[in-house]
Amino acid sequence: MAPKHCGLCQDARAILKRPKTGQQICKDCFFYVFEEEVHNTITEAGLFRPGDRVAIGASGGKDSTVLAYVMKTLNERYNYGLELFLLSIDEGITGYRDDSLKTVKRNQVQYDMPLKILSYEELYGWTMDRIVSSIGKKNNCTFCGVFRRQALDRGACALKVDHIVTGHNADDIAETVLMNIMRGDIARLGRCTSICTQGEDTIRRSKPFKYAYEKEIVMYAYFKKLDYFSTECIYSPDAYRGHARSFLKDLEAARPSAIIDIIHSGEAFEVKEEIKAAQKTQRTCRRCGYMSSNELCKACTLLEGLERRLRETVISSLLDPPAARLADKMLVLISLIVTVLSRESKIICR
Amino acid sequence: MSESCGNPTVESEALMPKKIRFDRSTTCVKCKEQRGCLVIRHAVYCKDCFSALLPTRFRKALEPHINHAPDGPRRRALRPAGNLLLGVSGGLGSAVLLDVVHRTYTTRAVACDGVKGGREHPRGQKVWSTIRAAYVEVAGAFPGMKDRTEEVGEAVKRYEGIEFVPLRLEAAFDPAWWARVGQTSTADVSVDLNAEGTSLLADSPSASTPLDSLRNYLGRLPTPTAVQVAIAKLIRVLLLYTAHATSSSHVLLGTSLTSLSISLISSISQGGGFNVPQTMYEEWFPPGAERATESWRGEVRVIRPLRDVGTKECAAWAWWHALVVVGKERRPAAAQTIDGLTRDFIVGLEKDFPSTVSAISKTVGKLAPKGGTCGRCILCELPVQTDAHEWRARISIRTRSTQSDVPATLASSVALAPLFCYACHTTLTSRSSRSVAPTKASAPPPPPIVQLPVWAAAALSRLYSDTATEAEEIRTGGDRNVGEEVWKTRKLGEDEMRAAVGEFLFDT
Repeated sequence: MAPKHCGLCQDARAILKRPKTGQQICKDCFFYVFEEEVHNTITEAGLFRPGDRVAIGASGGKDSTVLAYVMKTLNERYNYGLELFLLSIDEGITGYRDDSLKTVKRNQVQYDMPLKILSYEELYGWTMDRIVSSIGKKNNCTFCGVFRRQALDRGACALKVDHIVTGHNADDIAETVLMNIMRGDIARLGRCTSICTQGEDTIRRSKPFKYAYEKEIVMYAYFKKLDYFSTECIYSPDAYRGHARSFLKDLEAARPSAIIDIIHSGEAFEVKEEIKAAQKTQRTCRRCGYMSSNELCKACTLLEGLERRLRETVISSLLDPPAARLADKMLVLISLIVTVLSRESKIICR
Repeated sequence: MSESCGNPTVESEALMPKKIRFDRSTTCVKCKEQRGCLVIRHAVYCKDCFSALLPTRFRKALEPHINHAPDGPRRRALRPAGNLLLGVSGGLGSAVLLDVVHRTYTTRAVACDGVKGGREHPRGQKVWSTIRAAYVEVAGAFPGMKDRTEEVGEAVKRYEGIEFVPLRLEAAFDPAWWARVGQTSTADVSVDLNAEGTSLLADSPSASTPLDSLRNYLGRLPTPTAVQVAIAKLIRVLLLYTAHATSSSHVLLGTSLTSLSISLISSISQGGGFNVPQTMYEEWFPPGAERATESWRGEVRVIRPLRDVGTKECAAWAWWHALVVVGKERRPAAAQTIDGLTRDFIVGLEKDFPSTVSAISKTVGKLAPKGGTCGRCILCELPVQTDAHEWRARISIRTRSTQSDVPATLASSVALAPLFCYACHTTLTSRSSRSVAPTKASAPPPPPIVQLPVWAAAALSRLYSDTATEAEEIRTGGDRNVGEEVWKTRKLGEDEMRAAVGEFLFDT
């Protein structure tokens, strides 16, 4: 069979079939369209202003590694005038985050960007390993997601940046649209397709890969020989999201445009005005001052639950104390009090 | 216990554990007296209470939309502007719809005899003067598929007072049917699906019969998903024009809560988000009806009165009332379509998360289309969202060529993309990863040139007979004043089409 010519330049030999459009194209054209589409996304939404300090949420995975590379490339090519940083969160998952953080540190050197690493332990006094040992694997993604969101904001404050960009891709957005419809989460459905979100006091947060297919990100990393860490989180058995993800993959197999079509659908409708009016207004958390729709923000509510659980465990074992165990538990209690106090004193940015 | 093999241990282990029927209470939640027979999302109903519940939900979903304007006491005076058309498919929902409509609106007038107020009291009058049930047979599209028109006709005839209207899918390409529904015939119009913008061909090769046109149309679509969706869209528009021709102000469909949720997720997965709120309730205007001055302007309301009733409840109703469910023929490759995958997913999810179907329907009920519209899609006659095609061009670059590089084949045709809604354009052009694989040199695929349905040809004819100013307005995405459109019928000349090229090309 004669080699196919690239469907875009009509000149070079096609070496790949674009997952997004099905076109058979050459490597150079693939780099061109991938980068141009991200550039179009950035310019169309007016994400940045010259001089902005932008933190790239870096996990060491494929999305954030490619994001850091593409942001650096576009910043230089189109003179965005951005000052770029890498911001990484250490959730405290032994065997998962340890390795991926090494990748981020390598990226720091390769891309010549300042790196800031913040840990859950430092911010909340809890690592994910401890949380999972306390509550089990069920629902632990809720803790991790809520804590990471706040942690990124706090890290960004520490770096004094104006903007955080994250590596959420088109597959993530499409999956979230479907999940929010199926769970009836109207508040999140209204904002999950927005490219840029900003709370009252928080830093702007955006997703330049909003229209980039996960497969194309992997393809880009592969052809550019980018250094990334590829392992699924060991604590991620989120059954509902897992169902939604495998459904999305089936849809993509039936018709590759399904991902972009779902995003288009998500952008083409909005929550009715009368429903919006009935939604809760935004407040500030009385414990940490972060934005919240209730008296306590989600992170503090979760933390209170964890602390209450720990207190109950300690007190119940104190009621029947062999001397050695008593001493042990007292130490845990004291360390807990110290941690909570130190965290309260560390409330940053307010 | 049977101990046939003589080993009691083995026998007791072999018994299947009895399925728990009631998870909370065994007493009916309504009357709180009888033992329940049916569990619906943890709530238990006895047969009597369930039999009263389903018609109540049906009427609650339908009756607020019966009167043309909500200006009277609708409980006492239901006055629809026109007749009623039921869209039936032979499935479970259709069987329940027929039965409930018959019980509610054909036997009710008789039951009212002797009720307080006398024979002449509005309460005693029939709500609908004529009720028809239309069935669209799709067997012609798939050679070898069983034609069920007769069976469905028999099922409808069981209900006195409901007239059967048989239709065939190929009518969508039949000028004779188009004339029968009171519309004026126009020349055939063909499109080339190969071009990203789906170009209109000046030289339209005409198929010999409507059935050939239908098969050619479905056979050239790029994916099995597109075939399923195209059939659903053709059925919908056939029903709408049939309703209009029979002076029906309302079309009722037997979509249950489960089917509705599947259809909503499927539609969203195919880019139909802008029109997804219309799936819950739709009001369709026939072409040219916008300028009428009467209170009822010929519009047709499409309502799904079983939208709060799940498949399980429909099945219980059908079983307890001994309904005849004709059934539907399984279409080829249906399981691998987006619709089929969505069905499997939602039905599977419902086992672990039973409130999913209800949550989907309620969530979509809280949504409204975002942004403006620029006319109606010539294929499905739903509103076209402004700038949808520009959005697609921006987020997925498909060419590095400039205007001067436009292929000659495209230049001799007219890009139709702006005249299709996003979902219809996707249906016509979006390929599967397999369908773009290189084919053998010895067997080149036939060119994907298809004839459009009769209403699309008529819409194009109207569009091109409008002034150049209006055409410019369409191209630029401005609000089209559809009320100003004039119904003119004439064959489109090749020169005129060429003259319009520049107006409809994306890159100009």
